[in-house]
Amino acid sequence: MECGYKIEKVLKMNTQLLIYFSVILFIAGAFAPLVPAIRSTKLPYLFPAAGSFMLGVYGLAVCFGLPGGSVARAEVLPFLTYSFSVDGLSGFFILIISVLSFCATVYCAGYYSSGSERMPFALFNIFVLSMYAVVTASNVPTFLIAWETMSLSSYFLVTLRGDDSSAKAGLLYIVMTHIGTAFIMVMFLVLYKSTGSMEFSAMKAASASLPANTVYAVFLLSLAGFGTKAGLIPLHTWLPRAHPAAPSAVSALMSGVMIKTGIYGFVRMNFTITGSSPEWFGIVLIVLGGVSCIFGVLYAYMEQDIKRVLAYSSIENVGIIFLGLGSSMLFRSGGFYALSALAATAAMYHVMNHAFFKGLLFLGAGSVLHSTHTVNMERLGGLVKLMPWTGLFFLVGSISISALPPFNGFVSEWLTFQSLLLGFNSPSIIAKIIAPLGGAALALTGALSAACFVKAFGISFLGKPRSQEASSSVEAHPLMLIGMAILAVLCLAGGLMPGAASDMVAAAVFQMTGTAAMSTGWHSLFIAGTFSSLSPALILLTMLVMAGAALIFVLFVSGRRKIRQSCSWDCGIKSLDHRMQYSAAAFSKPIKLIFKRIYLPSRDVRISYLLKPLFVRSMTYRGSITQVVEKMFYEKITSRIGAFAEKMKALQAGNLNLYLGYILATLIFLLIFWT
Amino acid sequence: MDKWLDLLSLVDFISVGILLSTVAMNTLRRIESCVKAYRLNSLLLSLLIFITAFTVGDVHLYAAGALTLLSKALIIPMFLSRTIKQMKVTHEVQPYISNGLSLVISGILVSLVYASLSEGIFVTGFSKNVLQISVAVIMIGLFIMITRKKAITQVIGLLVMENGLFLAGFSLTFGMPTIIELGILFDMLMVVLILGIFAIQIKKVFASSDLDRLTTLKG
Repeated sequence: MECGYKIEKVLKMNTQLLIYFSVILFIAGAFAPLVPAIRSTKLPYLFPAAGSFMLGVYGLAVCFGLPGGSVARAEVLPFLTYSFSVDGLSGFFILIISVLSFCATVYCAGYYSSGSERMPFALFNIFVLSMYAVVTASNVPTFLIAWETMSLSSYFLVTLRGDDSSAKAGLLYIVMTHIGTAFIMVMFLVLYKSTGSMEFSAMKAASASLPANTVYAVFLLSLAGFGTKAGLIPLHTWLPRAHPAAPSAVSALMSGVMIKTGIYGFVRMNFTITGSSPEWFGIVLIVLGGVSCIFGVLYAYMEQDIKRVLAYSSIENVGIIFLGLGSSMLFRSGGFYALSALAATAAMYHVMNHAFFKGLLFLGAGSVLHSTHTVNMERLGGLVKLMPWTGLFFLVGSISISALPPFNGFVSEWLTFQSLLLGFNSPSIIAKIIAPLGGAALALTGALSAACFVKAFGISFLGKPRSQEASSSVEAHPLMLIGMAILAVLCLAGGLMPGAASDMVAAAVFQMTGTAAMSTGWHSLFIAGTFSSLSPALILLTMLVMAGAALIFVLFVSGRRKIRQSCSWDCGIKSLDHRMQYSAAAFSKPIKLIFKRIYLPSRDVRISYLLKPLFVRSMTYRGSITQVVEKMFYEKITSRIGAFAEKMKALQAGNLNLYLGYILATLIFLLIFWT
Repeated sequence: MDKWLDLLSLVDFISVGILLSTVAMNTLRRIESCVKAYRLNSLLLSLLIFITAFTVGDVHLYAAGALTLLSKALIIPMFLSRTIKQMKVTHEVQPYISNGLSLVISGILVSLVYASLSEGIFVTGFSKNVLQISVAVIMIGLFIMITRKKAITQVIGLLVMENGLFLAGFSLTFGMPTIIELGILFDMLMVVLILGIFAIQIKKVFASSDLDRLTTLKG
């Protein structure tokens, strides 16, 4: 007993040293490029890579049962104590932040080795470090400071390119994220008022006796605040603009993990701190999640810019995660704790999977951008022959995100699906209707997102090059490929070993629901006893056997045939031109027609004639879709605010002395009338 | 008991000096004299802190006094005089309203503060007058900022306000935590530096250091 205690103590001390050392590495890495001798070498990349590697190992250890607890605490000022602690939930997020930041750093080492751009070390390191701080902060001031540091450093990364469009995207981002922070602050104040403490642990201890209205307020405020960061519709407007504007490795981090900090915050508030919920919480989440995933994927489908496709698809995936969280809450309110844990597992599993495959896809898009200087699909094509590895990794990412076996996206979406279908267990009739409807939304989303990524991969990587840049592209730097390869392997591993992966999220799920999740083997999952089970490895085996059988059939059974070699699809005409290919816009046309009530498309065809009806000189086609949410919601709000501001302008005379006079008048007023 | 009585009268005496040096700024015509008045103001403030530190025997207060002396009575006035020299402006203060009127208004402000703070807040510190005086100094500092045209005189107004704030904090709690004091002092230094640069820039762009020219910037 004594000995065990000692070992624990030594272990704790060593892990603390490891954490401090990693943090120092990140900080040192921010300043490393200032040293002239190592500026042009790869050495500065080593700092964040080593730091995130060590923290990743630590996160993994926490996921598999290393006791967490407080890791750092410093009283700086009265009312301001920096306090960090780690539990299963934090450990899980530390792990995925580490994996992505490690891969992104390795990728950057290759990305910035050629070309005129320079790696933004200081911002990158501060950004990653602040994300770690967000998921480990254990009181309100620490959390808010970390949260703001994360928002501001990512703002500067978004505007790094320095052109007009990225400045606009950055402005929208910083406005939206601060509106979100305002909600979060109010939420913390509400909690502080009824619990009397700024510490998360004390809030949790007092949560059982919270009045119902406080719990409602915390739920709604955290949904608005953290939903903004996560990109839930209708709070998503910044996301498709800001994510593509950042450098690709940073986009990978923003889409892969930064929006997950929003989910972390929401889960921390509504699962670990306030523990109980009425039924409508879950229903609200399922409805919002369903809307987010359908609209997200629909808009993703209409985009021609790969990075914007990926950004919209992040909204879709956040929707899927919220579907999982919603059904978890629904089950919790009904008292089905095992099912609640199952749904939470699905959500956390998808958090991890989305981080991996979205990170992979953004890195892939970055390679395309680096090589061809464009991410517009209409100018790409045929890249798979010139960049085979990038093509392969992008394909892996596409398959994963389309939820096809044997990759990871399939497992987590399947789990989400199962948990939604199990919603019929819920006693209330509304839940019985809403939960399967959420399942239907998820099914539609899966199909559309598969179509979306067939388009993204097919138009960009297959066919013939559509532009000079595309035909002269070269394979990415080996380090970039390594960065992508790690994520691709993880995508496959997450798909083949769902049992191992769900064991990994078990600690986080335990923090969320207080229930250990499910019985698993390392390669298969069993749900609700005998309700259903899944073994992706067997699916893969079946697929391989089927493919082998087909091959054998073709080669040996069906007999010999004459082999003829010619261009495919050329209909007898030699010399196919790249302009004869299906374009990205054409590919998305059928869906645009089916969903025209949602897209409200507008088209503009201009024809200039040589001679009126018959001889056409040129035709231009311009199609666009309407962003319904922005039109219905934001345009009205902004016009109201604009009108109000116009009226307030009278106060702003431009005279400094007058402004100071306002202050003096206020002071005198308060002095006289306050007491 | 005797010692406390002495201290009380001494503290009151010095803080009245602070108030008077602030009021005097209303009547000064030259910017250089304003800087001198500010220096006197800061000297008195640091003297007050030293005396209290001596009586109470608190090391932390000695440090605060030394910092005040160094920054507010030496460095900041030095920067200010240098900026004035560099700007080569007319040395007139150029207030919006006459000196006599501003003296009267300062008097009204002081009496207003005394009228509204006479009771209610009972100061646990060492004198009942210091809080009122400090609030009055803040008000007059703000008033100086309002009625002056030149950027540099506004900086002086701001600095006087800060002295008032320091005095208020000091009278209530024997000084704020060291880190906050350090932060405020650093802020002040930065403000003087930056506003010095601004004043010169404004002068360059508008060929005048009058702040009312900034109205043209309004969109």
